[in-house]
Amino acid sequence: MTTDIPMDKTTDDTTKVSTPEATPIIPLPHAAARGLTVAGSALALIGTFLAWTWTDEFPGNLTVTGYPGGLQVLTLVGSALTLLFALAGYGIRGLGWLTPGGKNSPVLLAALGVLGVTGYAMGAIAQELGGLVNLEPGAWVSGIGALVAVVGALGLPVDQPYDAGDPDPHLWGRVRHALTAPEPRRAKDLPSWLEILIIAAGFGVGLYVFAYGISTEYSELFIGFLIIAAFGFTAVTRAGLLKRLSALTAKHRNVTLGAAFAAAICFPFTQTNDQFALIGANILIFATVALGLNVVVGLAGLLDLGYVAFLGVGAYAAALVSGSPASTIGVTFPFWAAVLTGAVASLIFGVVIGAPTLRLRGDYLAIVTLGFGEIFRITMNNLNGNSGPDVTNGSNGIPQIPDLEILGFNLGVPHDVLGHELTRSANYYLLMLVFTIIVVMVFRRSAESRIGRAWVAIREDETAATAMGINGFRLKLLAFALGACLAGLAGTVQAHVSYSVTPEQYQFAGPVPPNSAFLLAAVILGGMGTISGPLIGAALLYLIPAKLQFMAEYQLLLFGIALMLLMRFRPEGLVADRRKQLEFHETGQLDVPEDKPLPEGATGVAKAGA
Amino acid sequence: MNELPQQLANGLILGAMYGLIAIGYTMVYGIVQLINFAHGEIFMVGGFGALTVWMVLPDGFGLGAAIPLMIIGGVLVSVAVGTAAERFAYRPLRGAPRLAPLITAIGLSIVLQQAVWMWFPDAKKDVPFPRFQGDPVEILGANIQRGDIFVLIAAPLCMIALGLFVNKTRSGRGMQATAQDPDTAKLMGINTDRIIVMAFAIGAAFAAVAAVAYGLKNGQVGFRMGFLMGLKAFTAAVLGGIGNIYGAMLGGLVLGVAESLATGYIGEIPGMDLFGGGAWKDVWAFSLLILVLLFRPQGLLGERVADRA
Repeated sequence: MTTDIPMDKTTDDTTKVSTPEATPIIPLPHAAARGLTVAGSALALIGTFLAWTWTDEFPGNLTVTGYPGGLQVLTLVGSALTLLFALAGYGIRGLGWLTPGGKNSPVLLAALGVLGVTGYAMGAIAQELGGLVNLEPGAWVSGIGALVAVVGALGLPVDQPYDAGDPDPHLWGRVRHALTAPEPRRAKDLPSWLEILIIAAGFGVGLYVFAYGISTEYSELFIGFLIIAAFGFTAVTRAGLLKRLSALTAKHRNVTLGAAFAAAICFPFTQTNDQFALIGANILIFATVALGLNVVVGLAGLLDLGYVAFLGVGAYAAALVSGSPASTIGVTFPFWAAVLTGAVASLIFGVVIGAPTLRLRGDYLAIVTLGFGEIFRITMNNLNGNSGPDVTNGSNGIPQIPDLEILGFNLGVPHDVLGHELTRSANYYLLMLVFTIIVVMVFRRSAESRIGRAWVAIREDETAATAMGINGFRLKLLAFALGACLAGLAGTVQAHVSYSVTPEQYQFAGPVPPNSAFLLAAVILGGMGTISGPLIGAALLYLIPAKLQFMAEYQLLLFGIALMLLMRFRPEGLVADRRKQLEFHETGQLDVPEDKPLPEGATGVAKAGA
Repeated sequence: MNELPQQLANGLILGAMYGLIAIGYTMVYGIVQLINFAHGEIFMVGGFGALTVWMVLPDGFGLGAAIPLMIIGGVLVSVAVGTAAERFAYRPLRGAPRLAPLITAIGLSIVLQQAVWMWFPDAKKDVPFPRFQGDPVEILGANIQRGDIFVLIAAPLCMIALGLFVNKTRSGRGMQATAQDPDTAKLMGINTDRIIVMAFAIGAAFAAVAAVAYGLKNGQVGFRMGFLMGLKAFTAAVLGGIGNIYGAMLGGLVLGVAESLATGYIGEIPGMDLFGGGAWKDVWAFSLLILVLLFRPQGLLGERVADRA
């Protein structure tokens, strides 16, 4: 993407070099545009302190003047972010660190987020209370402020010069272009204690945002949260802050891992409501299983469409030896033995399914695992003593799985820890976290080992990998069996968290995650082959259906559409593995060597063996 | 009832349906190496298309006379959905890593199921499909329901037509060429895009015929019926050798007969008495797939596609 257009410095107050073509979308004088943005976002911020509506029938009580609540808080946060980014553009000392990458695109994104959430709030109030008359002046102040800020931000010069090939794209192309930003330069070296502090602060903010999302009490607030979180996250990314942070985390990997787990351990202490802690525990189960699937799909490139069955094997194994009165075996194993049983049972199934199919082309594996997932469900239904031997009680499943007691600590009852009451779900959340840590460690260690590199090699080109002396079949089987084993591990905890196991919990696609389709979607949405990707993907895929109950009917439909759009427009997922990103977008890469014309006489470079 | 001819007949009827659906998998796979995971759903919408035709026909219209119209209706819906899927979901992803179209197919399959579930009147549960009244006909010692005769006639006709099309027409030969080597086929002036659309359309049309047969046999269609039928049909396609259209039909018949025999006889094997009966038939069909993959991974008739590594 080299441009040979002469570049000259514009009157931009930043040091950014831009071409004359980099005109803003709305032609405004630069000072006026920035002034408008600052004024608009300040107006939106002030508006949140006024009443937005006259009645507290709209959830969140937006009637109080001087004390923002509910959706107002989201507008407040968004407009504060816009204001900060816009002020950073003036070159005010002390704010420069906010925008190491893009200067103006984060302003535009944040302003759009404010407009989105404020507009949504105004629309929701008008729709639920019947008409725009229900809006108090505060809402109009914020709304108009947000609109002004967006207009101003559209008047700011774009961060990157237009592509030489297409200097004057049509409007939509220009808007899209205005949202892009250059990569940040390398950061100054800071003292390492400060860097660690920054990492800790980053995870603190992450934990706060996540906990806020889980404890949103009504769906309007959750939608607003999604809008502002999506725009805010993109704005922070465009500003280059995320790149800076990930450069730091790459430098201090163990600290990062520690900080992440510390943040995760803190989560139940932010929740007083057992229901929200249960959501946390379920997200953790879902995320752990998704991470296990990521070993199979992301690292080794094996498509497993029946992965939830391995979770089911682990859960059924644990339930049968849990001492539940409905268990047909009637033995009670201690928890560690039950975990081993579940993991080993899943491992055996993984080998039995994998051994015949992994010798063949990958597509067969997809369909065999899909079949296995279905057969598992059917078999569990049939082993009811009526149409088969009595093992699983058929469709009734195994209910009344007793609560765990580990080292005299009963996970079923609330405990007071550090002055905070940990509920049953919070206990299980912490137990599950131990398993998540195990799975993360296994994933990380194996991905960086010789085996992990061999998996990636097989994923990229099995023929070449085999030629390099890699035993493709054995390594694929290892990945598959390891994935199965990790799912079984998670299943043993899941059986206890959900009190009962039934065949219907483990189907291919259903409204409640985890099921095979959702697991795969979590891995792909988050980003294949990464650790944080499936965790984020699982959290989003669990929270969105759980929080937006009103669209329950459309949920699967929207899920299917989202899956197709995702594959079309961002197949590498939210957290992109560098290799995947290159693979999916093979053009326009900066680090692809330039196409040089072949020297004379260099013929005969036809694709051999095509 | 447990006599061998009866079981064989049941198996053949079931197998012919599997075979018709398997054609769609095998043709698409043979040409673009894509498992059209949504094909089971294309089968399902074909059934609903045929049912819609029956519902709009005036009362008193005989089922025998309605069947050709219902087939046309079903085929139209299936082909429309199938080609639209090709155009808007799969074509943009041609050249992307293989995972991408497969996941799109999963998404599409969920969308189609949910769309029918939500918008077809009363489709939240199984919807009744017209059936032929009257006693079963006895052929070679097996009782065959009147509705089942349809598939026994339709499947061979479809296979003959397909065989003629592929071997005798220009487009058919173009299809073979594209399956062998798409790049060279393109250089020879074959419009491979058109060939791919055609493969999707033929597969969808056959699936619609199978869906009419399914409805006539079971007396109902449901939004969920595509999943298991699609899975079995894919098994049939692998069984016969994927990419091979005759193999698909053969695989379907073998799978159907094996399933029916397993239902009838496995329970009589000493020690297996609890594993017989209809509840386990899917498990046995699936075990057959694993066995075939173990011992003859190229399928019964062998793959037609050259393995391009």
